[in-house]
Amino acid sequence: MQSEDDMHDANDIDSLDDDFYSGETEDAPLDYYSDYDDEADDYFEEADRIESRRPEQNFTILKESDIKQRQEEDVTRVATVLSISRIFASILLRYYNWSVSRVHDAWFADEEQVRKSVGLLEKPIVQHDNNTRELTCGICFENYPRARIEMASCGHPYCISCWEGYISTSISDGPGCLMLRCPDPTCGAAVGQDMISLLKSDEDKQKYARYLLRSYIEDNKKSKWCPAPGCECAVTFDAVSVGNYDVSCLCSYSFCWNCTEEAHRPVDCGTVAKWILKNSAESENMNWILANSKPCPKCKRPIEKNQGCMHMTCTPPCKYEFCWLCLGVWSDHGERTGGFYACNRYETAKQEGVYDDTERRREMAKNSLERYTHYYERWASNQSSRQKALADLQQMQTVHIEKLSDIQCQPESQLKFITEAWLQIIECRRVLKWTYAYGFYLPEHELAKKQFFEYLQGEAESGLERLHQCAEKELQPFLCADEPSREFNDFRTKLAGLTSVTRNYFENLVRALENGLSDVDSNGASFSRATSSKNAAGSSKGRSGRVKGTFRTSMSSRMNDDSHWCCEHCTYANVKSATTCQMCYQQRR
Amino acid sequence: MANSNLPRRIIKETQRLLSEPAPGISASPSEDNMRYFNVMILGPTQSPYEGGVFKLELFLPEEYPMAAPKVRFLTKIYHPNIDKLGRICLDILKDKWSPALQIRTVLLSIQALLSAPNPDDPLSENIAKHWKSNEAEAVETAKEWTRLYASDA
Repeated sequence: MQSEDDMHDANDIDSLDDDFYSGETEDAPLDYYSDYDDEADDYFEEADRIESRRPEQNFTILKESDIKQRQEEDVTRVATVLSISRIFASILLRYYNWSVSRVHDAWFADEEQVRKSVGLLEKPIVQHDNNTRELTCGICFENYPRARIEMASCGHPYCISCWEGYISTSISDGPGCLMLRCPDPTCGAAVGQDMISLLKSDEDKQKYARYLLRSYIEDNKKSKWCPAPGCECAVTFDAVSVGNYDVSCLCSYSFCWNCTEEAHRPVDCGTVAKWILKNSAESENMNWILANSKPCPKCKRPIEKNQGCMHMTCTPPCKYEFCWLCLGVWSDHGERTGGFYACNRYETAKQEGVYDDTERRREMAKNSLERYTHYYERWASNQSSRQKALADLQQMQTVHIEKLSDIQCQPESQLKFITEAWLQIIECRRVLKWTYAYGFYLPEHELAKKQFFEYLQGEAESGLERLHQCAEKELQPFLCADEPSREFNDFRTKLAGLTSVTRNYFENLVRALENGLSDVDSNGASFSRATSSKNAAGSSKGRSGRVKGTFRTSMSSRMNDDSHWCCEHCTYANVKSATTCQMCYQQRR
Repeated sequence: MANSNLPRRIIKETQRLLSEPAPGISASPSEDNMRYFNVMILGPTQSPYEGGVFKLELFLPEEYPMAAPKVRFLTKIYHPNIDKLGRICLDILKDKWSPALQIRTVLLSIQALLSAPNPDDPLSENIAKHWKSNEAEAVETAKEWTRLYASDA
């Protein structure tokens, strides 16, 4: 059993390597899709996809009603177990930050002490004779008939209007009102929700209810509010797995549970904090440098980027096609020309000749700003590209899908692949964006790592460009057509294929970067085949199946080290002694 | 006048302050504003302020008793919890205020603060430092200030 697990690990690493090489071994974009035709059905099984995208979901999204329900349940639980009123139970839970277990522990360890510190009295401090007709309010000093006087568990008498004043003052002071005590400074008896209901003002009652709800989320270490503006959901997180803090809310906002910044895998929280600080410190400067437009490299007219992908076409008569990032001619970028996507590269300018100190310092400052600008620009480009893609997806879902369904005579359920593609683009733009922060902080001296990283990033950039281009531009003709196009099925295969390939690539990229590119040793870009099980984090049995279609050609040769052989049919790495594949039972060939 | 709507509580408190004053403390309302009190506190015995008469002003804001009275020393005093403007660092005047407290309890607390300065929670950084580094010398200065500023009444 144990060996089988190891096998899976080995597979994952290899899939990683294969991904890295895939750009080299193939020479035509066709390779990307050809693998799909036969295996397409397996690939797009819904269950498989969901499983692979969310290997483990260790968080729960709570709507307001869910929060209230949980809160009520906890109060009921404590009230039942401790045999106390729900009002007392609520005060106790609030005191112990809504941890039922802490309440239980403390209560059963020393009930008397808990009652004292929380202010839950068993007997009143001040006894009132039942025959007393009138009592004096301890705040306004007026005498009132018994019915106009209220008291907490301690018995200190205050009139209803003084209670109202006391409570509403405390509510306007903030969430401290949840721990309200008797006005008598020597007393300390807790004031519960029953007193709050004495209040006549609905506004105050609502405020109190709001604080109570917020307290349940904010005081509890296992829950947080979704940081997206306007979103009212909360997230509870079970910190079982290591590393993955990504959470996505019902409002579709993804964020890191650990630092509540937007989701930033593969970059760690510390780097994100540094990067954000740096951006805010230099953003004024950057804004000035970058503004929102660039001049066309050919005709010099200023161009504002309003489409998602980096392939720019200047308006007629110029029609110059160029890359938004490097402003180089686009034909150098595509796959067809055998071109090479080098925009992510930043070559540190070599210092030549002899500078005096001032000049060198000026030069260094300029270089460091240029270096930062390089990464920031690409980070920001992907950011805005992602925003645009989000808007496009919205547009797609609300308008285009329906239109397309009409024109191409396809049920909308058959057009899901388009939404899938856009979701993938959005996710990839996010990852790609953060790889630029990653790159910025990658140590200069680790040359091999840096080169390898830039290679991976370049591949990711061009792969995503391909997908984005396909989803954005190649869809257009089908939207404008008058009748169903015969090529539509080809388009579907292509886009779905690109989506899947890109997803695979990015998943592997994220894993590799999270491992700190540990496959690269210091001597150069050679990849160790060590069976480190780290790489397998989050993988499932389904993985070996996913790898097969895409990388079959390069797979078997790669896997043939001494101890294993790779099944030609399913790519499963079998131990040398096996003659049939342990996964698919095919004979070894 | 402005005093026509004075709450019963303030009237009662004022009456009691005048009829049964706390030892070493006198407080009387101003003639034209019943919410403004002229206060005098005698320096407690066995304290550096012994023999001094300290003037204070006390004002009951509109929200009183839901909000704390505002109190400040008018007489210059060398004390780690009182700054040079006479403002007082005392919890019951801030977050620990409760409507069940009264003018009398506030003034008694201030009197107690004179007996027991608390340099660990200072309002006046310099005086607190002085108090902690060389208490004997600080006490001497406090006595000196009492003689200089609080003895003419």
